[in-house]
Amino acid sequence: MDESALIRDAQAGSLDAFNSLVLAHQDIVFHTALRILGDEDQAADAAQDTFISAFKNITSFRGGSFKAWLLRTVTNACYDELRRHKRRPTVPLEPETSDGEDMDTPRWLADPGLSPEQLTEADEVEHAIQHCLDHLPVEFRTVVVLADIQGLDYIEVAASVKAPVGTIKSRLARARLRLRECLQGFQELLPPSFRLEGERI
Amino acid sequence: MNTPNFRDVEQLSALLDGKLSPAEAAKLESRLRSDRTLQAILDDLTQTRSLLRRLPRRKAPRNFTLTRQMAGVKPPTPRAVPTLRFATLLATFLLVFSLATNTLTTAMRQAAQAPVYGMGGGGGGAEDSGPAIMSEAATEPPAATLLPPEAASEPMTTLVPTLLAEEQPLDLQPTPDPSLKTGLAPDSEPAPAPAPASAPIPPAWLIGLLIIALICGVAAWLISRASERSWRAKTK
Repeated sequence: MDESALIRDAQAGSLDAFNSLVLAHQDIVFHTALRILGDEDQAADAAQDTFISAFKNITSFRGGSFKAWLLRTVTNACYDELRRHKRRPTVPLEPETSDGEDMDTPRWLADPGLSPEQLTEADEVEHAIQHCLDHLPVEFRTVVVLADIQGLDYIEVAASVKAPVGTIKSRLARARLRLRECLQGFQELLPPSFRLEGERI
Repeated sequence: MNTPNFRDVEQLSALLDGKLSPAEAAKLESRLRSDRTLQAILDDLTQTRSLLRRLPRRKAPRNFTLTRQMAGVKPPTPRAVPTLRFATLLATFLLVFSLATNTLTTAMRQAAQAPVYGMGGGGGGAEDSGPAIMSEAATEPPAATLLPPEAASEPMTTLVPTLLAEEQPLDLQPTPDPSLKTGLAPDSEPAPAPAPASAPIPPAWLIGLLIIALICGVAAWLISRASERSWRAKTK
């Protein structure tokens, strides 16, 4: 059954049709939540909340890209999750200095159980990028995840984060610049084809 | 060659995404040809975006499909249930209303039949007929409205004997009273027990309403439960 038929059935109250949509989009939703939140458990919670909220509000879907609509919902769910996390802070996984500041060194470097060879094998690109994403302000992180990782258009990103297109353009440029600066600290972990040249600005 | 500022970086980022107008893109591309710093920034942005796009896709650790409970979906209500619930509600309301009516009516009747002290005088010999007269007076319109105009103008001293004389048949003979044997004064006699007042709504009607309310309520509950069970069995 095609997506629009499933959406119509789900709008008519069919949970089976909606669950078919869930199965088709759950990887994208979870991946987006994971990149915004940087934590698997929180991302799973946000993804589940996204689908519950999507089912309850599916009648408000007025056509267009269902994926973009879901990504807008997951963005809101991630903001809620971040607010919840802020209210009930947990013990940070990042190593801290004696002053309580996060250390710049990522946690996997401090893990005594991993050898340099294992580190190289353990998808270092993903870790390096996630580390840099985690250090971006959340509004920049969301924009770069939606635009560069999920490939949404500027207009779709603007609708997702409820900001003007000009703001999205600006946030995306800043986010890319900051990521570039951050990733330069992980040159040795990146595959040669992805190594960035020295800082130019 | 100008030093690139943030506006240039923003333009380069938009150029990368194809979001510049043709005129803006042409202008920036001509600058890129002559400005190596600008070109280097564009390369960096391109590589960064490429890195992000090549980020491994993580699969969902589990299925996020919704159960009916999570989705807040309730089992469909059988057609008969709303009717039965309405019947229960209506029968209960009528039952309460009937009970209230009966209680109020009985209370009002008792209040009307209760002796009123301080009226009708305490003269000897007329005590026995006092309650009967008062009872009559309580149920009749004011005497002045019943009397002819000439009688209405007469003084009360002449009217009262007239009224008493008209109360026929009125048994003024004192009945044998056991209290006399005990030497009690006539004033301390217990008032004659009033005849049991019949309730305006018969008890059969009340019982009927109660039975209807119970039957409809239980039937609605049983049907809902059976329907929910079969729905759960189907959706398992």
